[in-house]
Amino acid sequence: MGPLPRTVELFYDVLSPYSWLGFEILCRYKNIWNVHLQLRPSLIAGIMKSSGNKPPALVPSKGKYLTNDIKLLGQHVQVPIRIPKDFFSVILEKGSLSAMRFLTAVNMEHPEMLEKVSRELWMRVWSRAAEKAGMSTEGARALLEKISTPQVKNQLKETTEAACKYGAFGLPVTVAHLDGQTQMLFGSDRMELLAYLLGEKWMGPVPSAVSARL
Amino acid sequence: MGPLPRTVELFYDVLSPYSWLGFEILCRYKNIWNVHLQLRPSLIAGIMKSSGNKPPALVPSKGKYLTNDIKLLGQHVQVPIRIPKDFFSVILEKGSLSAMRFLTAVNMEHPEMLEKVSRELWMRVWSRDEDITEPGSILAAAEKAGMSTEGARALLEKISTPQVKNQLKETTEAACKYGAFGLPVTVAHLDGQTQMLFGSDRMELLAYLLGEKWMGPVPSAVSARL
Repeated sequence: MGPLPRTVELFYDVLSPYSWLGFEILCRYKNIWNVHLQLRPSLIAGIMKSSGNKPPALVPSKGKYLTNDIKLLGQHVQVPIRIPKDFFSVILEKGSLSAMRFLTAVNMEHPEMLEKVSRELWMRVWSRAAEKAGMSTEGARALLEKISTPQVKNQLKETTEAACKYGAFGLPVTVAHLDGQTQMLFGSDRMELLAYLLGEKWMGPVPSAVSARL
Repeated sequence: MGPLPRTVELFYDVLSPYSWLGFEILCRYKNIWNVHLQLRPSLIAGIMKSSGNKPPALVPSKGKYLTNDIKLLGQHVQVPIRIPKDFFSVILEKGSLSAMRFLTAVNMEHPEMLEKVSRELWMRVWSRDEDITEPGSILAAAEKAGMSTEGARALLEKISTPQVKNQLKETTEAACKYGAFGLPVTVAHLDGQTQMLFGSDRMELLAYLLGEKWMGPVPSAVSARL
């Protein structure tokens, strides 16, 4: 029997475009590297509040920079990211509380659906212009009803607090459980470093699963 | 004749550890990729002031994170970075004004020495926890890089002249015009467009934009040519 897979936790929020990039990269590598990927839906607003940090876009030159950065990374990572028309409104006003509570409920009752539903929510906010107010979810009424229950609210709170305990001040946060130590990495741009820490091969953000096995 | 090399500017400050990481990666790739690397000594304090940004370490959990991040990246990028004992004092109180003015003077009179002298200043502050603010400290770095004592002293005398002061100011303003809010900033001059990238962690993206191969932060020049 080979070595046990190492657990890699990904704390993310669908409000965070960089979370989407990190998510797609890890979803590709989870079947290539010897890892067990644990998706952890979190609330970036809670992390900002807890850490005293602020969304980067509040510094004007950072905001300008990251709209271009996200566009370029979208091309490189092959994720169809497009900045929503009303970028500030999306992030600062509309937020993601219901969406992340919904994903928390999905994770509690149908964890096998979590990856797909997370992706669909990102596609709504960060790929097609957010024309609809909020993020409705057709065909998931039962789960939708659960998002305001104490269990779901508390679970999202706990997951967000877990990220904060690891030292998060933003998202995405990747936590690698290595032999004898735990490493927290911030950002979608720490995946090559993650490979190095895991002793795995980095083949860029779009690895070919076929060539990995040759 | 092959295609013309593309110009890649690197704006950096020796006060910035991430600048050192970016600098070493680009120095390795400058002889592998078809690029012309232009080193641009800048003042990170000036960029922060201009952009209204603040050093990341002022958010406590960011400060804690980046000391570990720098350590891990140092291992991965194979740069002997070590956090100075009094980190805040080095960054927020002592600064790098004289050092960056000195590098500006080096760039104006002996540009072929700029890479080595820059590296020796980083080695002082970000590897051996040594001072870079005193004239003696800067001279020691210049000599270690291979400059003669006389040559280094002559340049040191020039750092308070208007020409050198203005040149550092202009270079820093150029970075700000490109949209910088911190360092390192890499500016790639591609066919028809200019792209500004922030951080030592955008080198793989730079390779993608240049149409060049990314072989990790420690490329083997030999294997690149096979």
